[in-house]
Amino acid sequence: MTRNRKLPLLALIAGASLCAAPSLFAAERPSSPVAAYTAMSPEELADYLIFEMEGFDLHAPTQEGGTARDRLEQDRTQKVCSAIARSGAALDRPTAAKISALAEESIQLPEGDIALGDWKKGEQIARSGYGYRMGHRVDDHTGEPPGGNCYACHQLDPNETAHGTVGPSLAGYGRLRGTSDAMLKHTYQIIYNAHLFFPCTTMPRFGHNGTLTQEQIRDVMAYLLDPESPVNQETEQTAQAD
Amino acid sequence: MRIKNAVRAAGIAAFLSMASHAAQVQPPEDVLGELIERNSSDYLTQSEQNIMMMPDNPALWTADEGEALFREERGPNNTSLETCDLGKGPGVVEGVYVELPRYFEDTGRVMDLESRLVYCMTSIQGFSPEDPEVKTRHGSDSDMMKLQTFIASRSSGLPWNPPMDHPLEKAMRDAGEVMFYRRAGTSDFSCATCHTNTSKRIRASVLPNINEPHEWTKAISWPAFRVGQQNVRSSTHRIRGCYWQMRQPQIIPGSDAAIALMSYWTDAARGQPAILPDKKR
Ligand code: HEC
Ligand code: HEC
Repeated sequence: MTRNRKLPLLALIAGASLCAAPSLFAAERPSSPVAAYTAMSPEELADYLIFEMEGFDLHAPTQEGGTARDRLEQDRTQKVCSAIARSGAALDRPTAAKISALAEESIQLPEGDIALGDWKKGEQIARSGYGYRMGHRVDDHTGEPPGGNCYACHQLDPNETAHGTVGPSLAGYGRLRGTSDAMLKHTYQIIYNAHLFFPCTTMPRFGHNGTLTQEQIRDVMAYLLDPESPVNQETEQTAQAD
Repeated sequence: MRIKNAVRAAGIAAFLSMASHAAQVQPPEDVLGELIERNSSDYLTQSEQNIMMMPDNPALWTADEGEALFREERGPNNTSLETCDLGKGPGVVEGVYVELPRYFEDTGRVMDLESRLVYCMTSIQGFSPEDPEVKTRHGSDSDMMKLQTFIASRSSGLPWNPPMDHPLEKAMRDAGEVMFYRRAGTSDFSCATCHTNTSKRIRASVLPNINEPHEWTKAISWPAFRVGQQNVRSSTHRIRGCYWQMRQPQIIPGSDAAIALMSYWTDAARGQPAILPDKKR
């Protein structure tokens, strides 16, 4: 029983995609998996179980116009960040720089100045967890637009108690940081692809993945930065109910 | 663990009596109570009401119904499940669940409780996979949930101990670990995004940390009655829900991918006592 070595990080970074390569095993599917499974590295076996053994419903259509299989394929950032998280190691500087550079390449800034949108629309986007879910209950984007689900991970309006804590609190974001052009650009970049400043962050790449449009990003930015937005008001002492 | 080592030194006989003393099925509310006493965890204590209502868990009825179903002669072959081998020999129910998934010689596969039950119901009782007894997997009224809840309840209080002796068990566990950390999809999520920190919340829900076995044992203690859904739910149902939240495609129940993930998550709770049936939000 020979176990393949773990894929070196370099190969991962080069984007060597196991699933794109023709499978060694697809043709002769073993009746007993013992020999086949134990000959693979854990990474190979995981991909084999997902893609070759069809451990997922790979053929379902997705909202963005592809198939479930496309959703499960990893890009470089996903692949590298997954491997590092699993290893438990800290992100080394060269890899961090690569991830950050990939993010920089991906970000499309709006032409001209970045103007804030409508904070009220931004609030809806920040609150909504709708969109892109598939499987037993499929989100229908023609009925309701997809949201950004920021509240799942962040505190924003200081009077909203049902907020997640996976990300830092963004309460008072604009009040504390101001609305200079540099701040606007910074915030746009974070929402578009936060790996630029936080390589291998768990924050979704809303712009890069195309889950928020440029206009929606500007609306969410208004929710974060507009002085009128609830995010930038002081806490009401009365709303302490938990 | 410390106790175990000391006892081992004191001799095998003492170890055996000690082990059998420790390995007793316990009511789930007692198991949870002791866990909370020993560990401080926002996750374990997040719902005071659920903790209080544990003795009135509707899943206890589901387990009783499952026991009757297990012993009833049913299906085209008019046989009970009492010859079903869930890992510790035909008919043995006590303690089997905390040692699943495991490798089964007769199928050459690593199987979880659900896939093993499907195997027994089809091969012993003669049901077809399309029969509602086998096909309906969700809801307190399904045979599948009744049987799973009965079998699992007979492991309450026992430490999770999935075997890793067979190379396939190890390979599946390791692939499951890769899956757990595997980011993909339109939100870049992996299970690790939400389940590798302590006391973090998604909205108002406190998330269990897979690296804290005392939290993770409750996380994987399914079947559980989900108060928000008024139904007893399985591990398979929880995994389906998490992939849905992750904006990733539907995992196929009973697939090796699903079993690999469960092999990893069970291994992560190793040594901590199972809370079965549990009550969740
Ligand atoms: C899955 C969780 C998650 C979601 C959903 C999420 N974020 Fe984040 N966000 C994070 C994390 C974690 C960080 C911290 C960066 C790091 O260190 O990885 C962060 C950082 C940020 C920052 C930078 C904060 C600072 O101190 O500079 C901003 C701004 C931000 N997020 C905005 C948003 C907005 C707007 C949304 C919704 C469109 C959103 N996030 C959705 C997890 C999330
Ligand atoms: C976006 C965040 C998120 C991701 C990603 C995620 N989960 Fe969860 N998971 C949750 C939430 C929220 C709960 C409910 C916790 C609660 O009610 O306290 C949960 C519950 C669970 C539970 C049961 C704990 C309980 O008390 O209900 C398990 C086990 C679990 N998840 C496993 C997984 C696995 C395996 C994956 C990957 C396939 C995964 N999760 C991905 C958010 C997530």
